[in-house]
Amino acid sequence: MASDSSPAHIHGGPSSPDDSMSSPIGNTFSSPGDPSTRRKRGRQSATPYKTPPPPRFTTPDGTPNPSSTNPRQGRRRASTSTPTAVTPSSTDDAPPSSEGGEADDGDDAPPMYVWGTNISVQDVNAAILRFLRHFRERPSDIEGKYMRAVHHVIEIEGDSLDVDAHDVFDYDNDLYTKMVRYPLEVLAIFDIVLMDMVSRINPLFEKHIQARIFNLKASTSMRNLNPSDIEKMVSLKGMIIRCSAIIPEIREAIFRCLVCGYYSDPIVVDRGRINEPTVCLKQECQAKNSMTLVHNRCRFADKQIVRLQETPDEIPEGGTPHTVSLLMHDKLVDGGKPGDRAEVTGIYRAMSVRVGPTQRTVKSLFKTYIDCLHLKKTDKSRMHIEDRMDIENGSSRNDEETPLDYEDKVEQLKELSRQPDIYDRLTRSLAPNIWELDDVKKGLLCQLFGGSALNLTSGASFRGDINILLVGDPGTSKSQLLQYIHKLSPRGIYTSGRGSSAVGLTAYVAKDPETGETVLESGALVLSDRGICCIDEFDKMSENARSMLHEVMEQQTVSIAKAGIIASLNARTSVLACANPIGSRYNPRLSVIDNIHLPPTLLSRFDLIYLILDKADEQTDRRLAKHIVALHFENPESSEQDVLDLPTLTAYVSYARKHIHPQLSDEAAEELTRGYVEMRRRGNFPGSSKKVITATPRQIESLIRLSEALARIRFSEWVEKRDVMEAFRLLEVALQQSATDHSTGTIDMDLITTGVSASERMRRENLVSTIRTMVMEKMQLGGPSTRVLELLEELKKHSSGPEVHLSELRNALATLASEGFVVVHGDSVKRV
Amino acid sequence: MVGLPYDCLVNPVGAVRLTFEKAVASGKDPATFDGKDWGATDLFREFLFDNGGLSQVPFLNPMTIKWIQSNTLVRFRGMIQDMLGNEFYVGAYKDGATWRTNKFADVPQFPMGSSSDMRIWERRLLYCVPVPGQNSWTQTSSEAMRNPYSNITSPYGEKRPREEITATTCDVDMQALDHEFEGSQCTKKMRGDGVPSQSTYPQESSVERTCSDVCMGPDFERNSFPCLVKIYDSVESELKLNDVFEFIGVLTFDPEVTTDKDKSDESLNGFFEDALVHLPPSKVPRLHCLVHRKLAIHDFLSGSHTLEPKSHLVKGVREGLLRHLTDVLGNDAVAAQFVLLHLLSRVHARVDSLAVGKFSLNLTSFSKETVSVFGNGLNLAINNLVPFTQCIPLTVDYLNSVTLAPRKDYQANRLVSGVLQLADGSHLTIDETQLQAGTLNSTGVDNARTLKNLVELQKVEYDFTYYKMEMAADIQLLIVSEGKSNILPADLVLPFHPSSVDSSEVVDAETLKAWRWYLATLRSLPHSIEPEMQKVVEDDLVAARQADRSLGSQDFSRWLTMGRLMSASFGEICLTLEHWQLVKELERLRRERFQGTT
Repeated sequence: MASDSSPAHIHGGPSSPDDSMSSPIGNTFSSPGDPSTRRKRGRQSATPYKTPPPPRFTTPDGTPNPSSTNPRQGRRRASTSTPTAVTPSSTDDAPPSSEGGEADDGDDAPPMYVWGTNISVQDVNAAILRFLRHFRERPSDIEGKYMRAVHHVIEIEGDSLDVDAHDVFDYDNDLYTKMVRYPLEVLAIFDIVLMDMVSRINPLFEKHIQARIFNLKASTSMRNLNPSDIEKMVSLKGMIIRCSAIIPEIREAIFRCLVCGYYSDPIVVDRGRINEPTVCLKQECQAKNSMTLVHNRCRFADKQIVRLQETPDEIPEGGTPHTVSLLMHDKLVDGGKPGDRAEVTGIYRAMSVRVGPTQRTVKSLFKTYIDCLHLKKTDKSRMHIEDRMDIENGSSRNDEETPLDYEDKVEQLKELSRQPDIYDRLTRSLAPNIWELDDVKKGLLCQLFGGSALNLTSGASFRGDINILLVGDPGTSKSQLLQYIHKLSPRGIYTSGRGSSAVGLTAYVAKDPETGETVLESGALVLSDRGICCIDEFDKMSENARSMLHEVMEQQTVSIAKAGIIASLNARTSVLACANPIGSRYNPRLSVIDNIHLPPTLLSRFDLIYLILDKADEQTDRRLAKHIVALHFENPESSEQDVLDLPTLTAYVSYARKHIHPQLSDEAAEELTRGYVEMRRRGNFPGSSKKVITATPRQIESLIRLSEALARIRFSEWVEKRDVMEAFRLLEVALQQSATDHSTGTIDMDLITTGVSASERMRRENLVSTIRTMVMEKMQLGGPSTRVLELLEELKKHSSGPEVHLSELRNALATLASEGFVVVHGDSVKRV
Repeated sequence: MVGLPYDCLVNPVGAVRLTFEKAVASGKDPATFDGKDWGATDLFREFLFDNGGLSQVPFLNPMTIKWIQSNTLVRFRGMIQDMLGNEFYVGAYKDGATWRTNKFADVPQFPMGSSSDMRIWERRLLYCVPVPGQNSWTQTSSEAMRNPYSNITSPYGEKRPREEITATTCDVDMQALDHEFEGSQCTKKMRGDGVPSQSTYPQESSVERTCSDVCMGPDFERNSFPCLVKIYDSVESELKLNDVFEFIGVLTFDPEVTTDKDKSDESLNGFFEDALVHLPPSKVPRLHCLVHRKLAIHDFLSGSHTLEPKSHLVKGVREGLLRHLTDVLGNDAVAAQFVLLHLLSRVHARVDSLAVGKFSLNLTSFSKETVSVFGNGLNLAINNLVPFTQCIPLTVDYLNSVTLAPRKDYQANRLVSGVLQLADGSHLTIDETQLQAGTLNSTGVDNARTLKNLVELQKVEYDFTYYKMEMAADIQLLIVSEGKSNILPADLVLPFHPSSVDSSEVVDAETLKAWRWYLATLRSLPHSIEPEMQKVVEDDLVAARQADRSLGSQDFSRWLTMGRLMSASFGEICLTLEHWQLVKELERLRRERFQGTT
């Protein structure tokens, strides 16, 4: 149609949609253009244009179009490759007019068909018009969605109208099918309809509005693109890996005669070429070879070639990613940058290639590319970490890959979540190869799901991320757990404490050597914003780096002040760290603090601290032996039991994180309060000389986060009592291992918060109990009193361990006295 | 069908087209041939495997490329280094009223009319290179092969029964003849001389010939002889990156064609700026693959050793090999045992991130002097035993400069190979004795991590700029170092104690063959364990752990791997008590060495 304005080509109508296809397409595709001469245009729609819409799909070289050159093939496709096709396909070979009667009743003009298809131009034209005029999202809407959109486009003087393919499908199934199968033809008609409509609304509106289709019902995998997809509308997902520079493409050229200075009329690109006039068109001049191009007055359009590569998750094992070229025009140029993930809707095209200089080698090969219609950037990492809900409420449907599939998937996930044993099942599915450590896995599961972050209007914020520290003997598969979580979590960063500096772990300022610009480059923690940062060998980390973690773990920001830039970067990350005990093996006689050798301030920021101890237990050893023997001799596949596979697990977690935001029920809140009070009271055991702080407010925050995560696991919007109880259990399991006062079995948070040695405490307790038994044996109730020094002598005889000092004995006696077991008067002790 | 085999060899495309015409003539619609075969590959399979035609097919390598003609049947052995995606081509088209096919060819037989009907089919492009580190002895068989055409009096016409050939195939031949005028001219010359040997060939060549030789020369050194293989109708999962395959198909190669830089349309370059531009047909031969088969190490052993793995035979070979290794290792019998086990190892299962069955070996206590004596000897011995070997001299400079992991070059849209892109079953020796203290730059740190990953997980991370992709590998790693290598934590560390200098006995070819066969065969044996034996092993492990708490799952894993390898070295497929005892004894000897040194 571009050629219409040039005097050389005058067809039946002012514009015929097919020409827009034929012009860019080379010799082999000349056929669709031909029939346009033998058909007339439906006048009712075509009259008011001033100028024809510009060609959308200009390609520099010929595109052989197998679909339109081969009617037989067209039929095959209709019947095989698109089984959903509703249109009768057997009539392809029949002369167009034979169908005209029923297709187009009441219209005088003989129906026109797109060559080689059964698409009647009038029908499609009418269908599109109907769709644009009458489609409403809700029946209650007064004005159609797209009429509103058209008005909006006119208002902002835009040049494209985004059309949701789902709307087309919902409104007119048949139109959708035609559009996907014959996009070139249908879109050209679409543009004409739009232009017609626009010029009726606002006759002064000069721009051409193009329809940009997006959100197809089905998206294709890049790998599965095959010859039958050529000239079809496809939708693909991938990652942009390369963008070419913007290429100005000439659309209209103006020439000037060097002899007389005459300016030619604009000459439009015809089949990828500009025909340079050889003779001055001015009657008086007619100088030969005098015309020269006037760059300033030519019209150019932007064009860009972009390469899209398969996303890593679509690559089968042992394969390399496929790539496909995209051709972007006008507004789509620079729509994405390398590294962006994008979903692209476009027309799959093939272009012939010359292999050698000889004529016969042409056309046996094709280069394929996608003529881009619509590009949508998606940033879908494995977990939908961005809480999109508050940003685009309701329109979230658009984000989904293929909503139909998506609905199915969600249904499946919901089905899963309704299973009563889902919690255990997920636990089993987490690192199924690492046996035992069920409670640790449950903790990790909570970390994956996470609690809800809370931002108060006062500016205070509570993090929802759960931090976990694993401390344990070497060879207890801590690192494997870490690796596994890293694989599973979004933006998971895995670093080793050894060798990562404070800068590397957080963020640093770099200077561009050329421009001198300072740029902030983020390190692990910032990169794992809204993810999980896995730090192996936490104990080996430098003091400096660790001190950075203080801020990260509580405030969830990283502050840097370097090169004059003071920045606070978000680092809403969960930290999963693992450390070896100080002597490489856990010394049960030392406290956790002494074992891990981490500052207590940092330690208290971990919600859960798990001790993974390698107990000298024959039972465990046997299990280990069995496990390893099985690993080596059995078919590893057969040993797998009822577990969820990794993709399902990831989908489950991401769905929960995105859509489930549980709230505390009253019952749960009550339980939480009760449990917390209980926990605090428990530390206050009778006889203790001073009140032991059992739990701190930090613990109650942890508990809330854990119970929220547990509710999320069940896809429940409410935190229930059982969640809270399980959270308490988890905390206790973790704490009991980490903060057990070994003689009494009660929890002592002082150990963690102040670092009072547990061994010291234990010794004291031992002493007290020894004295207690001694007193029981030696002294009668209410009998004569005994000298303290005598007791000391007695003790030394009894105990084989380290020497007992008098002061220690006195302390122990004081404890006993506070219990009301003995009475101490100066140097004498009396049992009461 | 009398003359058909000959036809398949010299004019495979003709044979393909013949079958196509037959198929069309029998009433089949070419439209049904999409992604399917109409019987062409069956014909070739029959010719190659049932009728023993395989041995007549020349190997494609830097030597043979000089005399092999384009459009003949060749075979190429190589590793898939990169996959270049799919290519669409006109598979079938109508020339007048007859259907023609373009399958297995670059160039259409007849010019295609612009209005002709056509079917577009697709084929996969694989970029293949000779297997990295392939030792020269694996190629003896192929190198020895002489030009088969030299014995043939006339390659065209006479030997083919006329009735089989339609006028069209004749035409192709004529075209082909014109096209490869250069090539046929050479063969004619050689025939005329009656001295069809490779060595005399350069003297015979004409002036243009030497010209093209010169321009070919630098391109085809031993390990950089790439080939672009076009695969038809294959299942995607069949061919994987780094797999070693033999491709048998039609060669197309024009050293004469100058690349036409058609710069007429600027915007076009965006599409062309992909792999194919950098691989012009004049530099990289194309092979239209008719038949492909995956190769195992066996296929690289010369001579068809089809020995049964009988126990007495195996025992004999084992002893001989062990003695040889002991000699090479300066009479260190324990080290020889471990090296033998190491050479038999392979990853036989992957459970999560664990690679079960790997057995990397770190020989320590090497000094600069001993490395030059024993290290080299050991390297030589291994080169002679295993088909694919590589050696990395680890230095700070090396780490800082080399690219170990393959990397995707988005400019060229190609996967740039790295040192660690190796075929499964390759052997890699890392010499750490040269490593001095020094600062690593970021490349160095990356490389060190990559190596560590390989040793620990048998995985190499390929760098795709925006993300990394893990590729599973199966590489036998031998680390030679002064002290225990902490950069490369091997499964087993053994201080090396030589007591005498290598007597360097000469090994005859037959013995070497037997050893190669031994290693290749026993390596792939399956393995199992009886319940009673399992109990014994478990008890042993538990007892060992009760005695020594420092033993972890890694040690146990190593023991079991050793048990497996030990029984495999005797040709057994089941772990026996005797072999388990041997393993424990070996482990005891190894531990003694540590006590001795500290």
